[in-house]
Amino acid sequence: MTTVTADPAPPTPPSGRSARPSRLRRSWEKHWYAWAMVLPVVIVLAVLIFYPLVRGIWISLTNLTEANQAAEICTRSITGGEVCAENPNKWEFIGLDNYVNVLSGNVGDFWQWTAITLIWTLGCVVFHYGLGLGLAVMLNRPMWGRGLYRVLLVLPWAVPAFVSAFAWKFIFNERFGLANSLLTSLGIDPVDWFANQWTSLFTAIVTNIWLGVPFMMVALLGGMQTIPGELYEAAEIDGASAWQRFRNITLPGLRPVSMTVILLGTIWTFNMFPIIFLVTEGQPAGETEILVTGAFRAAFEGIRNYSLASTYGVLILSILLVFSMFYRRALRKQGEVW
Amino acid sequence: MRRTARGIAVLASATLALSVAACGGEEKAAEEQPAVDPASLTAELTWWDTSDPKNEGPAFQELIAKFNQTYPNVKINHQSVPFGEAQNKFKTAAQAKTGAPDILRAEVAWVPEFASLGHLYALDGSELLADESDFLETPLASNKYDGKTYGVPQVTDSLALMYNKELLSQAGISAPPKTWAELKTAAQTIKEKTDAEGVYLNPAGYFLLPFMYGEGGDLVDAANKKIVINSEQNAAGLAIAKDLIDSGAAAKPSANDAYGTMMTLFKEKKVAMIINGPWEVNNVKQAPDFGGLENLGIAPVPGGSVKAGGPVGGHNYVIWSGMPQEKVDAAVAFVKFMSSAESQAFLSEKLGLLPTRTSAYDLDAVKNNATVAAFQPVVEAGVGRPWIPEAGQFFGPLDQMATEVLIQNKDPKAALDTVAKKYKAEVVPSYEN
Amino acid sequence: MSQLTTPAAATPAAAVPVASARTVKRPGRSRRSPAKSLLLHGTLILASLIALGPIVWVLLSSFKPGYAVQSSDMSLVKDPTLANYSYVLFDTNFPKWLLNSVIVAAFTMLIGIFFSATTGYAVSRFNFPGRRPLMMTFLITQMFPAAILIVPIYTIMARFGLINTLPALIIAYLTIAVPFCAWMLKGYFDSIPTSLDEAAALDGCGPFAIFWRVVLPLARPAIAVTAFYTFLTAWGEVMYASAFIQTDNKFTLAYGLQQFVPQFNPQWEYLTAAAVLVTVPAGVVFMIAQRHLVSGLTAGGTKG
Repeated sequence: MTTVTADPAPPTPPSGRSARPSRLRRSWEKHWYAWAMVLPVVIVLAVLIFYPLVRGIWISLTNLTEANQAAEICTRSITGGEVCAENPNKWEFIGLDNYVNVLSGNVGDFWQWTAITLIWTLGCVVFHYGLGLGLAVMLNRPMWGRGLYRVLLVLPWAVPAFVSAFAWKFIFNERFGLANSLLTSLGIDPVDWFANQWTSLFTAIVTNIWLGVPFMMVALLGGMQTIPGELYEAAEIDGASAWQRFRNITLPGLRPVSMTVILLGTIWTFNMFPIIFLVTEGQPAGETEILVTGAFRAAFEGIRNYSLASTYGVLILSILLVFSMFYRRALRKQGEVW
Repeated sequence: MRRTARGIAVLASATLALSVAACGGEEKAAEEQPAVDPASLTAELTWWDTSDPKNEGPAFQELIAKFNQTYPNVKINHQSVPFGEAQNKFKTAAQAKTGAPDILRAEVAWVPEFASLGHLYALDGSELLADESDFLETPLASNKYDGKTYGVPQVTDSLALMYNKELLSQAGISAPPKTWAELKTAAQTIKEKTDAEGVYLNPAGYFLLPFMYGEGGDLVDAANKKIVINSEQNAAGLAIAKDLIDSGAAAKPSANDAYGTMMTLFKEKKVAMIINGPWEVNNVKQAPDFGGLENLGIAPVPGGSVKAGGPVGGHNYVIWSGMPQEKVDAAVAFVKFMSSAESQAFLSEKLGLLPTRTSAYDLDAVKNNATVAAFQPVVEAGVGRPWIPEAGQFFGPLDQMATEVLIQNKDPKAALDTVAKKYKAEVVPSYEN
Repeated sequence: MSQLTTPAAATPAAAVPVASARTVKRPGRSRRSPAKSLLLHGTLILASLIALGPIVWVLLSSFKPGYAVQSSDMSLVKDPTLANYSYVLFDTNFPKWLLNSVIVAAFTMLIGIFFSATTGYAVSRFNFPGRRPLMMTFLITQMFPAAILIVPIYTIMARFGLINTLPALIIAYLTIAVPFCAWMLKGYFDSIPTSLDEAAALDGCGPFAIFWRVVLPLARPAIAVTAFYTFLTAWGEVMYASAFIQTDNKFTLAYGLQQFVPQFNPQWEYLTAAAVLVTVPAGVVFMIAQRHLVSGLTAGGTKG
């Protein structure tokens, strides 16, 4: 897969700048079929993503909640008839107030959530990649039982994420869970997993690592198979140690795959909703909430503050955009076209 | 697949009906004969039942089957909805005007909230409130908002001290503790003399109310529009609860799944005392090792320095305002049947739940019910809650506070100040701090 | 099982180095010292146990009665029973949830692929004005947190009366599926040599005919992989399913299973049984298809 050039599209003839009035028509004649081919997706993206996105940004500039959503509140009587009264506090445009409140910490725990999200993302991705790489290296050698190991190690990926979340929550139950009973049988005191922010986050990270490592492992294993064996042979002849071969051949050879899976893994983990939502439920006292679950709870629990949830959403998106910009720049510097 | 379950329930209730008929239940049915022919009512109604699907659900299904004997053409889709989610689910659906149930079993604090959002039918002038005076005053009050009545009480309840008689007598304790101080000593004695732990406290806002009420505290002062959650009284009450855990008298509660843990430990006889309500009686009764109702002791919650009392709780039947008008007759008939004195007596007998009608307490099934008798003083001592629309939102911040104080060892007063701040910012902005 | 093919039977170009890599002798078993061998196998066995452990534990628990599933006395097997399974299958709406999940995932998959196939092709082959922004859009939309879309989509759905319907979920999932499919398919199409297109063009085929008659047949495996991925994503989605669906005959599995373990009195015995029932069929299909999955994804990624 690395053999194909990065940009197989034939270069456009430099028709552009000095064009005449008919440029548009020529462009149309030349490209109409390409545009026709992408049209369905452009429409879908516009309707399903950009319209809601714009709406979301707009909502974040209002004070919309469930209570002030309706212009008038109507009460139906069981004997028939309906009385409507104007909603005394209708929603209104409030400018950047939501952002000010969120960023200054007046409302919600944005900064705490952000910190937890970053720790969560970093922790998960580092372990995903590290363990995935380690296992891939081991599995990449010929040995007895390799196929069996591979199947067993891939198993967690076959389990839907929400099922894994339940399974681990079950295991980490403080009184009746397998984890504490194993600890006890080893003579270690049982741990009150969800009583402490860090042990609680630990349970979530363990869950996510468990279900995410197989993907990394298989991806990296696939990447290793594309590294030409001659390189290893030559290195061996030169007397390179196993570690040197790993550092100088395997790692560079894995770069394209690694870059992609790390980027994807980061984005996926950042936005990973079910694990935190189902395993820790934000316990203790909301201290393991991440941005995505916090935004969800703002919108669909309590007073259902839609505008606040949208504000979180916009902020989350901004963080991700900044991250990918830096990532892209870093890649560019190293000569990858992306 | 519910259909299968209902099929079984129909069978079960058919046999039940036969035996009831033999006892003269038939007469009552005749008495109640409505003016219209019940069989002419045709409708399909969805009912969201927030009771525990395993412990309480089957009894409600039996009631539905009974209802269908009189109203064969009103189909009831009985859907169990987890109590913890129902409030949000209902609002999501009602707001969107699709997917909400025709009838909901709503917790007492939810009714004013839903009513204020326009999600409920006002029931004034309907048959349901024809004998309004028969309902107990407090449960009925929770259905009123802005001069109208939006629901019919289903059950009433309050928190009580539930204890394992065997364990208490093993520890040489003859009577259940009456104050928190006595509870602490009793719990420590039990811990010493038996294999069980003394008491398990559920670290949730609702379950800490007896501690706060005991010292004379409350959440808000609705009459004067004041937030009083961060009062010294409440802090003192929480300090008592915290001391129970710190001193080892109470088991260290879990931050996740604490309620389930509490019930499992109690049923396994690993914990001698819990603070809980009548809705768990059937659960305890069915536990294989517990020893049934004979071993279950029920006493009023222990008192603090001011008084002893738990929050008045319970559930009401409400009708979604998005339900089409033509289903009204069927819905009214169903709610009327479910909230009738006979149905309430049936639930008392089956589950030990407390009726909300004065007349129900005169029926034999209720009069002679030991569980009801034990809970009656508990409910009478119950402390009323402010029935304002915002009351449904009091418990989110309170639960967080409970975890902070009981599990994370934070200072009660500081934790309560945070709650007060949240109430002011999100729940009751018009109130004074 | 141990022989790895790179996915994409649709990557003829990539097949060459793979083949050579496989035939090359690497430092093998013969040269490994016993200690190293022990360490290697020990690590792999430990990892396998960790991978397997939770699954086995859930499986074992699903055969215990309720009082033994959540109990202070832990045991591997206690009073084994099939009652949990029969409850889940016959006394709850579980079969309906399964069906709903299949419907939602299948429609998301079909619609997603249908919309994005030509786009993936056009972006891969033609350099038209708007191509680069479009590709950037695909990438950026991958990172769109559902958190920002969920509220506006909820209000829009509410306006059209779609809340609590399966189409609401399908539409919500398309926001993830469409850019994802387009992105992945583009990667696959890149790996199909353009010489084929050119040859067909010389024969007088128009761009649509080339796509339909030449490229699409070649890309069938790639489309299958992309489709499967989309299916999996929709199958396991929790957030929209929790927010948009209210009645229990419309739940998908991801939300329905939560019903077994509510805040009060969770019934782990039913949850574990349901979890096994969900995982077994999904797992079997997955194990068959998994070797093709990642390679497709990274193929798309490296050239995105």
